[in-house]
Amino acid sequence: MAFNARNAFAFTAVASLLAAIVWATMGSGLPPADFTFGNLSEVKSFDPAIISGQPEGNIARCLFEQLTQRHPETLEPMPGVAESWEVSEDQLTYTFHLRKDALWSDCSPVTADDFHYGWRRLLGPRTAAEYAVLAWYIKNARRYSRGGSGISPGDPVEVELNLPLDAINSLRGELLHGKLVSLDNDLDPDRRTFLVEIDGQQHRFDPVDDQDAVGPPPAGARWCRQVLLDFREVGVQVLDSQTLRVTLENPTPYFLQLAGYYPFSPVNRRCVETHGNPQWTKPENIVSNGPFNVQFRRIRDRIRMVKSETYWNRDSVRLNVVDALAVESNSTALNLFMTGKVDWIQTVPPAALRIMLKQDPPRDDLNPAPYISSYYYMLNTTRKPLDDIRVRKALSLALDREEICTKILAAGEIPAYGLVPPGLEGYSGATCAAEDPEEARRLLAEAGYPEGKGFPRMDILYNTDEAHQTIAELIRKQWQRELGIQIKTRNEEWASYLSSHRQMKYDVSRRAWVGDYADPSTFLDMMVTGGEQNNTGWSNAEYDALIEQAARESNPEKRRQIFRQSERILMDELPIVPIYFYVSKNMVKPYVRGFYNNIENLHPVWAMWIDRDHKGPNEFMKGRP
Amino acid sequence: MSIDNAKQIGPRSATQGMSLTQDAWRRLRRNRVAMLSLWTLAVICLLAFVTPLLPLQAPDFTQTSLQYAEPTATPFWLQTLELDTELIARTPGAVAQLKTKLPALEAALQRADEQFDRAAAALAEDLTHDQRKETLIAEQAQYDDAWYALRQKQAEIQDTIQQPYRKLGFAQLGGLSRWMVQMRFTLFGNRSINSICGRDLLGRDLLSRLFWGARISLIVGLVATIVSLTIGVTYGAVAGYFGGWIDDAMMRLVDVLYSVPFIFVVIFLITILGQEDVADKLAYWGIDRITVFFFVVGAIYWLTMSRVVRGQVISLKNELFVESARSLGAGQMRIIFLHLLPNLFSVVTVYLTLTIPRVMLFEAFLSFLGLGVEPPDVSWGLLANEGIKVITPVKIYWWLILFPSLALGVTLLALNFLGDGLRDALDPRLRDE
Amino acid sequence: MIAFCLRRALWMVLTLWIVFTATFFLMRAVPGGPFDGERALEPEIEMNMLRRYNLDKPLHVQYGLELWNYCRGDFGHSFKLGDYTVNQVIAEGLPISIALGLLALGFAVSLGLLAGITSAVCRGGWADVALMLVATIGIALPSFVVAGICIIFFVFLIPLFPAAGWGELNQLVLPALCLGAPYAAYIARISRTSMLDVLSQDHIRTARAKGVGPVRVVMVHALRGALLPVVSFLGPAIAGILTGSLVVEQVFAIPGLGSHFVYAALQRDYTLAMGLVMLYTVLLYSMNWIVDLSYAVLDPRVQLE
Repeated sequence: MAFNARNAFAFTAVASLLAAIVWATMGSGLPPADFTFGNLSEVKSFDPAIISGQPEGNIARCLFEQLTQRHPETLEPMPGVAESWEVSEDQLTYTFHLRKDALWSDCSPVTADDFHYGWRRLLGPRTAAEYAVLAWYIKNARRYSRGGSGISPGDPVEVELNLPLDAINSLRGELLHGKLVSLDNDLDPDRRTFLVEIDGQQHRFDPVDDQDAVGPPPAGARWCRQVLLDFREVGVQVLDSQTLRVTLENPTPYFLQLAGYYPFSPVNRRCVETHGNPQWTKPENIVSNGPFNVQFRRIRDRIRMVKSETYWNRDSVRLNVVDALAVESNSTALNLFMTGKVDWIQTVPPAALRIMLKQDPPRDDLNPAPYISSYYYMLNTTRKPLDDIRVRKALSLALDREEICTKILAAGEIPAYGLVPPGLEGYSGATCAAEDPEEARRLLAEAGYPEGKGFPRMDILYNTDEAHQTIAELIRKQWQRELGIQIKTRNEEWASYLSSHRQMKYDVSRRAWVGDYADPSTFLDMMVTGGEQNNTGWSNAEYDALIEQAARESNPEKRRQIFRQSERILMDELPIVPIYFYVSKNMVKPYVRGFYNNIENLHPVWAMWIDRDHKGPNEFMKGRP
Repeated sequence: MSIDNAKQIGPRSATQGMSLTQDAWRRLRRNRVAMLSLWTLAVICLLAFVTPLLPLQAPDFTQTSLQYAEPTATPFWLQTLELDTELIARTPGAVAQLKTKLPALEAALQRADEQFDRAAAALAEDLTHDQRKETLIAEQAQYDDAWYALRQKQAEIQDTIQQPYRKLGFAQLGGLSRWMVQMRFTLFGNRSINSICGRDLLGRDLLSRLFWGARISLIVGLVATIVSLTIGVTYGAVAGYFGGWIDDAMMRLVDVLYSVPFIFVVIFLITILGQEDVADKLAYWGIDRITVFFFVVGAIYWLTMSRVVRGQVISLKNELFVESARSLGAGQMRIIFLHLLPNLFSVVTVYLTLTIPRVMLFEAFLSFLGLGVEPPDVSWGLLANEGIKVITPVKIYWWLILFPSLALGVTLLALNFLGDGLRDALDPRLRDE
Repeated sequence: MIAFCLRRALWMVLTLWIVFTATFFLMRAVPGGPFDGERALEPEIEMNMLRRYNLDKPLHVQYGLELWNYCRGDFGHSFKLGDYTVNQVIAEGLPISIALGLLALGFAVSLGLLAGITSAVCRGGWADVALMLVATIGIALPSFVVAGICIIFFVFLIPLFPAAGWGELNQLVLPALCLGAPYAAYIARISRTSMLDVLSQDHIRTARAKGVGPVRVVMVHALRGALLPVVSFLGPAIAGILTGSLVVEQVFAIPGLGSHFVYAALQRDYTLAMGLVMLYTVLLYSMNWIVDLSYAVLDPRVQLE
């Protein structure tokens, strides 16, 4: 008996081992893709309304096409789904004419309704889209996004009723249109009720989630999901199936660029309402209108996309199968690139980069180029002693940015003395003073900390990443060396790090911002009082006024002057200490064509193709000596 | 090593003049590998202890102009910065002066605290949390200011004491270490050994970082193991001695805990305790991340110990000497602690030498995840991690991996061999358990 | 036997419940919510989202709701991988991790046993010393160092294996080796010791005296006895492999549960982290169960309690 059991045990052990090997190798046999690129990390979702990161953007741009497309080299807005458009005199109204041959992957035509649906979804408060902010340039969009907080008595409103619990979760409830008479319990958003006049009759509405709407409503009131500004007040209008009219709040010179940004993608209503969130983004369900379709997705492994047969411009797409690998570690990504498994990686470990840039003969796959992204340290001005401007100035003056850029970063990063990176057309920003340790010490002594004695123990917060850690280390040493102050460093992972910012639970924190579009406002708009990205507690009324003025100014030169003035204020008060401006660290194989360095580090995959017979440098290497 | 020839023939003779420990020691001495390990460990510990005395460069002195310098032995001696002895001489006076201001600040904090409590007690009952906060804003602000002023004065005192050392590139030094550093500069002047192990990204000398890292790694290993030992031995002894349902319940708890994947707990705990306000309060009491480590890590490894101890206690419980102690009227606790525990010495020692490596490896693992010791402190795990991170296809800074790995490897090898030797020496019967 | 299994099953449920409770409260204790994105949410929207995920309810209500969901097998949606439910993530990652773990275990057991037995048989010889030295080195270095060194030697210096990824046969070798190395070392040492013990016993001497060849002596008579301590080590070995996979999966970019777990814990993806913790507990518990069972099967002297 025991003998058989023992043998059985050994047998099962060996059998499971073999099964494991067989299973593991079953995943192989994947035909290789035409083009493979490293996509930095696993994407959160394919839904263009709820994403905001760079890896997600890379995929969204492959799957969806917006009104305009950006030219891969010059970044000019080109016709996308919209084949032409008109802009009104006052630059407030854009009329887009959609092409007739734009199709969804299920062969239905892309119409203006799809954009209307997608943009409403982006702005709707329940979607909680991170990039809804970008759509707030549209008239009344911000008020719509704020839900019940965006309406006041007298406004036309829409009331969305609840749906039964078993309804598909992406459906909107029945809409009633009326006029808001009054809000009650204004102070507590949780129990706000709305008195709305509909067709002459007044109804009181109490917004609750569907699961709470099952029981009877309180006396004299009706349940609803939400009460919002009527979307017909928002500046997105469908004139007919091929015409979309957009009205803006202020003249926004970069609106055409924005219209090509992935949050503004059209969304197929039928797909979303049939499958619900988030099932509609599954590869077997998703309906997209871009140059590629999703074939399959393996978490933390890869997303495979194939050329779309329904895309109107499919003849110009020269890649058939594209793989986006989710490799988090940049050394692993480099290893894959060097062993020929990946054709494009987006970042390189600094240690390797330094060596590779000095190689002789020079490499044919590396060409760092500046782009509009800024790395800076935020100072929590609500905490002592950072509320003292002398201390902030001292901290900035004691920094040796050159040392950081040449010794740690090694890709040719540019020391930053302002917030807005160079390269924006016609704009030259205001700068803060360059390194001056003597002056820094003097200021610190004046502020009450001679030779740094008694300076409180501050923390430099950064999100867990090797490069940030090294920079924080070096800055800690620089401040110690020049000012004699003792600082510690602290790292948190991304979500806690953002949470610490939101709650202002930090002293000094590393921060970076990549411009969403090529205009100074994407940087300077951040620092207004109460701005979402302004977690420094800094507030300056003059600055706010200037930013507001710039938003309304349509003359480009005047705008730039206003921006310069505001950046001057920023650099005088230094709630943030600029450190450096980014340089892109793409590595691209020589046989990849159609890849261009540009100021936004934007590289649409549909413009690329593989040409193994090509001799000489490819487009990526242009400008490299 | 097998001791199959050392089987005892007959019962342990009562006329044996040698105690168990001496017998074990003799056996250990014959095991050459174990003795070599013992000496190696002794040397490592000694070197770690006297690190501040050694003529090494400062571990935290950044010179980015020398980044990634390769190991070099020419010239052997380098000139480094001088220690400012005048400043050190003036320190006690300055510190005394600053300390006179402390009582006033502490009193102010106390007053602000009392005021806050009084104001809070005087509030109406039915206010919401937010309303309470609103009303108490002034008192809260006063408390915060008093707290801030006190912390600042304490920081100033610390800064004054540490300043001469910090300038040279030393991390925070305790009293004994400061004295040793002063001795070092008296003995060796401002000469230091060159970077025979190379330099890292910021130009810091790897040799000195290895030595200073040894202190932290070894202390983490020791203290965490001792913590786990204390918990494990007490738990196991109590369970084994009392037997019956107490034993059952306690061992069931251990079984349950065995199934809990502790990595999760550790990550959560370290994340929570790293939060700014929590960390600040802890720092006030002198508890920094390393201390948190000791307890968190120690709390993971006590399970096996408790099982082993319980097994031993159960078998010892029925020995004659326990019977006689009980008949003499000794209380239960006395029996456990005075009679049983000393006999567990062998098991415990072996366990100690085998757990320390695991703890040190665990610390390295946490460093890999970014949850390890924070700069300017150094540990071998941190150094190994830094070395691995710079492995790229184009260049391998071999010294950054080789030397930390050697240090870790030799120490852990020594500990393992010593553990094996101890196990063989202390009780050959142990192997059968 | 039946009673044993039933009792174990009951204890597993109890263990799971304790782990669930502890993890639940630990995760809620960590400040910051799962919805911290770069943009601040309007208070109403945040309220809505919290409501949708039941995060606005009092703690004990949340606890009850989640416990009920777990009993039904519904682990909820991952917060960070928006499109996926926890069950789907597990379904994708678990087979990979199991395959990797089994392979590593296979390496560990086969290499370890081989080394240990050879060592014991050639006791005192240079093979013994060399093998034991290599074995101990496997225990003395952190796994990421071993992984890094393997990459240096077998990917760059001698381009034998690919650097990362999962799917082809040659991508399996390095990760499994790195993962199994420390356990091979332990098994080598343990099997050597127990082999030496068994070889010195009477029935071996009898077999030798009877003229049984040395190979047969080792394989037939000695091996079974020597295997017991190895089998009892398998329990902690499997636990170690499960956790050691965190490092290996990160370094070799393998999309298994280990890397999902690290990211879930660090990113505070509550639901995914909870689901994975429960899964690991079940795995650990079952593995210990199987090991105890096999121990009883292998050694007729052992009785299941």
